[in-house]
Amino acid sequence: MPNDAFPCRLHRAAASRRNFLWELGGGLGGIALTALLADEARAAAGAANPLAARPSMFPPRARAVINIFCPGGLSHLDTFDHKPELAKRDGTPFDTTGNVQFFASKPGHCQRSYWAFRQHGECGRWVSDLLPRLAGQVDEMAFIHSMQSKTALHGPAMFMANSGFILPGFPSMGAWVTYGLGSESEDLPAFVVLPDHRGLPPGGPVNWGAGFLPALHQGTVIETTDDRPPIADLFASPEHTALVAGERAGREFLALANARHLRPRSDNSQLAARIAAYELAARLQLSAPEVTNLAGESASVEQLYQLEHPEVGPFGRQCLLARRLVERGVRFVQIYCGAENTTARKVRPNWDSHEDLVRDHGYWGPILDGGAAALLTDLKTHGLLDSTLVMCQTEFGRQPAAQGKGRDHNAGAFTVWMAGGGIKGGTSYGSSDELGFKAEDNPTNGYDLHATALHLLGIDHTKLSVYHDGIQRRLTDVHGHVIQSLLS
Amino acid sequence: MVRSIACRVFVDVLAAALACFTPAVAMAAPLESEIRPLLVERCGACHGPDTQESHLRLDVKHRALEGGDFGPVIIPGKAAESELIRRITSTDEKKRMPPDGARLSALEVERITRWIDAGAEWPETLADRLARESDHDARLDHWAWQPVVRPAVPPDRRAPSARPAEPPGMPWPAHNEIDRFLQATLADTHLAPAPEADRRTLIRRLSFDLLGLPPTPAEVAAFVGDESPDAHERLVDRLLASPHYGERWARHWLDIAHYADTHGFERDQIRPHAWRYRDWVIRALNTDLRYDDFLRRQLAGDVLAPDDPDHVVATGFLAAGPWDFVGQVETRSDVLRRQSRADELDDIVTQVMTSACGVTINCARCHDHKLDPVPQREYYALTAVFAAVSRQDRATSAAAVATYERAQADLDARIAAARVEVHSLAGKPIDLADIVGGGDGRGNGKKGFGIDPRTGQARDATPSGFLADIEVNRVAPGPTPLVNAVFIPNGPGDVPVSTTGLVVKGLSATSGAAWDAIRNGPVNQQDSTQLGGVEYARDSHTILGLHANAGITFDLVAIAELAQLVNPRFRAIVGYGGRTATAGADFFVFVDGLPAAHRRIGRDDGGIPLDVPLPPTARCLTLVATDAGNGIGMDQIFFGDARIEGDPTALPPDRQALLAEATARLETLEQERRSLEAPALVYGPVAGTPPVVKVHLRGNPETTGDEVGPGTISAVRGLPTACGDGASSDGDRRLALADWITSPRNPLTPRVIVNRLWHHHFGTGLVDTPSDFGLGGGKPSHPQLLDWLAAEIVDRGWSLKAMHRLICTSHAYRQRSFDVPGTAAASAIDADNRLLWRQNARRLDAESVRDATLSISGCLDRAMHGPGYRDFDYEEAYAPVYRYVTADTPALWRRSIYRFIVRSTPPTFMTALDCPNPANLTPTRLETTTAVQSLALLNNDFMLRQSGQWAQRIEREAGADPATQIRRAYSLALAREPDDTELAAAVALVQSAGLPQLCRMLFNTNEFVTVD
Repeated sequence: MPNDAFPCRLHRAAASRRNFLWELGGGLGGIALTALLADEARAAAGAANPLAARPSMFPPRARAVINIFCPGGLSHLDTFDHKPELAKRDGTPFDTTGNVQFFASKPGHCQRSYWAFRQHGECGRWVSDLLPRLAGQVDEMAFIHSMQSKTALHGPAMFMANSGFILPGFPSMGAWVTYGLGSESEDLPAFVVLPDHRGLPPGGPVNWGAGFLPALHQGTVIETTDDRPPIADLFASPEHTALVAGERAGREFLALANARHLRPRSDNSQLAARIAAYELAARLQLSAPEVTNLAGESASVEQLYQLEHPEVGPFGRQCLLARRLVERGVRFVQIYCGAENTTARKVRPNWDSHEDLVRDHGYWGPILDGGAAALLTDLKTHGLLDSTLVMCQTEFGRQPAAQGKGRDHNAGAFTVWMAGGGIKGGTSYGSSDELGFKAEDNPTNGYDLHATALHLLGIDHTKLSVYHDGIQRRLTDVHGHVIQSLLS
Repeated sequence: MVRSIACRVFVDVLAAALACFTPAVAMAAPLESEIRPLLVERCGACHGPDTQESHLRLDVKHRALEGGDFGPVIIPGKAAESELIRRITSTDEKKRMPPDGARLSALEVERITRWIDAGAEWPETLADRLARESDHDARLDHWAWQPVVRPAVPPDRRAPSARPAEPPGMPWPAHNEIDRFLQATLADTHLAPAPEADRRTLIRRLSFDLLGLPPTPAEVAAFVGDESPDAHERLVDRLLASPHYGERWARHWLDIAHYADTHGFERDQIRPHAWRYRDWVIRALNTDLRYDDFLRRQLAGDVLAPDDPDHVVATGFLAAGPWDFVGQVETRSDVLRRQSRADELDDIVTQVMTSACGVTINCARCHDHKLDPVPQREYYALTAVFAAVSRQDRATSAAAVATYERAQADLDARIAAARVEVHSLAGKPIDLADIVGGGDGRGNGKKGFGIDPRTGQARDATPSGFLADIEVNRVAPGPTPLVNAVFIPNGPGDVPVSTTGLVVKGLSATSGAAWDAIRNGPVNQQDSTQLGGVEYARDSHTILGLHANAGITFDLVAIAELAQLVNPRFRAIVGYGGRTATAGADFFVFVDGLPAAHRRIGRDDGGIPLDVPLPPTARCLTLVATDAGNGIGMDQIFFGDARIEGDPTALPPDRQALLAEATARLETLEQERRSLEAPALVYGPVAGTPPVVKVHLRGNPETTGDEVGPGTISAVRGLPTACGDGASSDGDRRLALADWITSPRNPLTPRVIVNRLWHHHFGTGLVDTPSDFGLGGGKPSHPQLLDWLAAEIVDRGWSLKAMHRLICTSHAYRQRSFDVPGTAAASAIDADNRLLWRQNARRLDAESVRDATLSISGCLDRAMHGPGYRDFDYEEAYAPVYRYVTADTPALWRRSIYRFIVRSTPPTFMTALDCPNPANLTPTRLETTTAVQSLALLNNDFMLRQSGQWAQRIEREAGADPATQIRRAYSLALAREPDDTELAAAVALVQSAGLPQLCRMLFNTNEFVTVD
């Protein structure tokens, strides 16, 4: 089960000792390689690192992003968007015309929030009782209540939320950000993705793809849920005993062979870069196990993220890992709070609560609440919140009308929030109508969210563009305005 | 750009013109005194000479009155209806113009309003006239739209003389016209071609380029030792004749078709028949199908020759891209469905126009193309060409289908006759599905009709979904005396099944939900009505559809009164009609409450025969379907040919003999019917009647503009742009577009394809944006050569192999990529080597790395064609799950072109090596160098196992001596011998760490993954 996380050895000292040893073996081999690099290759390593940090266009407020994504469609009506009028109309017909057709159903009667709303913090923002811990952080959070998506279909809406386009194949936000800024960490990937331990989100790896940007900008998945190394192929599997044992000698030979091959081709920077990539790989072999090894974290941190909790723990661990990654200079971390859709299990593996919202949001609420609130607290403790933009997104909201005991998809209105790096806490932008059916005041698509996030990173979203097949492409397509009122 | 320069000149003219106006003129028309200055000052920044947001320009007459992307903004005489007035007076922050700075004052608004209401009179000034005349669309002068004109071939060049006074040196090596064009440019730029590469370099280069595989040591030795003058040409010919050529070059084409074997998006389902298209591409290339035919068949092969699989399968091209099952099928929302459909058409149109013509048509989906002269309506004209096309598994030959159906009909007739004979001997059975349809079991029930399991009421054919207001374990009497009761069961306790109080035991707990009615026919959303090769929805067969959770009890006494059957039995074939492969539902049969049959089944279980004797005392026959406790999704249980039949053993012996004979005949016929092989399928387009197509304003299918007929772009002149009209059939539209694309007068198609060939042979095309020949794309490095090649391919009967041969035998291709004299100086002039003063070293792509690895290790299975290998475990689910496994079995050691490509879940190993995601159309593979990539080659389990396989091969072929082993290893992987230093280092490694370690590291060398 989820607690079997490979790198998080808090509970698996015995089983993971063996792993740690062979990791170390690989890592040392890497160090040995470094010493053997030809001079020209070493020079190229610096010059050729295409992910070297680049200055932003103007002084940034945030230098890193942690993006928490709640796939399936988080219900704004049961979490952050307080609708007294909906409560008043609870149980009365929603659609008297009979013409409204949702994604999967005809509207049922108006359905009030399944959880009571209360005001919190100095700002007095409303949050439902589903999220008591996040409610304690509202003074740090800025909400956009007038979000809309172009589609109420999971796949395309996921792509829209991540890349600004409903078709697959466009660069994700993380890819754009690392394309624009590079990374401050030479030893870790610039864009890390931490999927839910149940599996990948709807649409799969396309969600963190680089589209038409060079593939090095795509998100690198860090695995934390089983006995595998945290990054695919980080080490040779220990079953290849002889290959593991002789790796150091092998790498010395490789360095020699590459150096001799390079000599008459010294003007080919690709070859030098490839030699340098093996050095980077050796560094990654040291740094990736280090960052995913939570043993050095204190008991209070462990408690804060509820790592022992069977349901909250795995997500809490991802949040803690995100903090550790950002701490080490990783530019963009995306955490998934939920996996692919299926109706086959007792509780839905994501927020897509069609048939039983109390069951599914009731399950996922404490998970998001526990992990995200802990992350905000922990970032603050470490002095990282000011320089880290935390975003919490979903692909669309849910309907104010009932679908049995659940709610259908609603692309017309939903809520996202941001905190940290340059965000003015306790604020909000836009609103949905009195029932939470459609965005009313300042309706906005993900473009404004992306434009604002890029702005905080010191990037003008209209200028971060790449010519591709006939057009200068941007994360924000041809749209997007920075939401000034949410900036501190 | 030409236009902006023209505009800048014009600004000055305008300023001068404005300065000349006298007050008298202003009096006559308020335009010059009051209106134009406002438009220039307040709108000019975005809608003036330099910038025209939404293509709207307000400072000159013809453009101001013409309007922008969203139509006219000034409607003379109607200020209230004019968008200009709406925008300057809007209270919506996002709509109000101007967006920045102070709003227009009330007085200013009033002036403009008055002017428009008065007719928007705008006497043309000199400035207006100049603007109008200079507004010729310079974009139409862009090189790519111009006709291909065969240029004269430049003369031979010689090396420049060493000193000014001396005569020129030796002639430069020129094997064909390509070299003369390139060398003309080199000479002009004071560059020279590089010397020819050595033989081993050439054969490795040619093998990877043309076959995607390394040469064998024997092939290298033969070529190196071949002293005949045409050795190179013969090698090129041999490689072009290899079937591996088609495998290699199909990969390039499938990249731009973004082919995959699954749908993509959220529910990434398998396309089990897509591979036939992939094989078609391989065969078409191997047989050197004319390129114009290659395109025509892919666009309209089903129209050109509907009976020829070789044509029909080609149209798999149009169905190669992603497709959203949820948006197209699953959702109940028409709005979402229209959006998904629009996205699908966008994908088809984009793929067709970028791959064949290098036109980035998708940029005109929401508005006119920002760079190219492609108005939005031309985009929709192109969608109209494909508007009737949808994608599905379809037969590859209409004739084969007709033959199959004739054979089927013939057999069915004979089966029906045989059955009548059996019935006349044994008594006619009572069909239970017919009873469910309101009949008496002898064929008078209504197909599709059914019974509501909640109420027992008869239901018409209207499908229903989830049933509301369910009460489980409540028995409702049936609509006719033949049906005692229906109910929605929920175990594990007693479940009542009849109005007489009969209960059954042994049912498990269910979700308590139910779907649709119990039907005489398939239930709503039933995926399949076939079991064991028999289609129960057709002919004399029947289906009793019983979606979980539901049960029905037949009154055997009432049935016995109708039909005098001797020793009756209940017989049926039961199966699962849902899409999922795993066991997902239970069926039960009870006789008078006693269990007679039960099984948990899924799609893979096929048809299960039931044969239940019914004692003379039996009163109740109960059929139940339950959901196995995992929800009712897909649980479409159905009973095929559910019948109560008499028992022949009770007949007199002579009739028994006759019956046995008739029954045997029937069974033979049925067997024959089952073994009829269904026609081959391909995932391709099928077409109905084209719908009306309208422009989607701002690309939104919900806000439509003018109707458009089928057509194509007008930027290419001299060709008809209409592809029929609104009344044209689907076939006529697609044929017309195919004709336009392959017309000898279309300059785009030949230029684009020769440039693609060039791109793959040199690493960069003459135009470095191979799918974008528009104004934003690259400019040709050698426009004359590009046109010469374009003219040449047409004259050579569109033969791709002829063009390959031409390119691969040129000196340009055969040049060295390194060790080139004067490299430093040449790099200073042309660092990117766009002028080809040497050949480009290139990295192997992901597929070539994998194929070369398998080839070198001796594992490669060279079997061609057929369904792709699946290097993953597949888990059927709402969104199917694909988990990759190590390719460690011979079945997975085929060439990468045969990889079963999963759109949503690409394998990390291939992705790390820059294998593109098939969500993207990929004309040029991006090449990256990352730590993750190094780790993949170094540690991926496949590479490690292959290292072991290769070491074993070397030991088999070279014996135990390390030096011999190492020589063999080098010749296999690098097509050369190691030098002494390398040999010594390798021997040391083999001795300390073993031969597999050497193999592993050779796979990681720059030399292995690079082609010089």
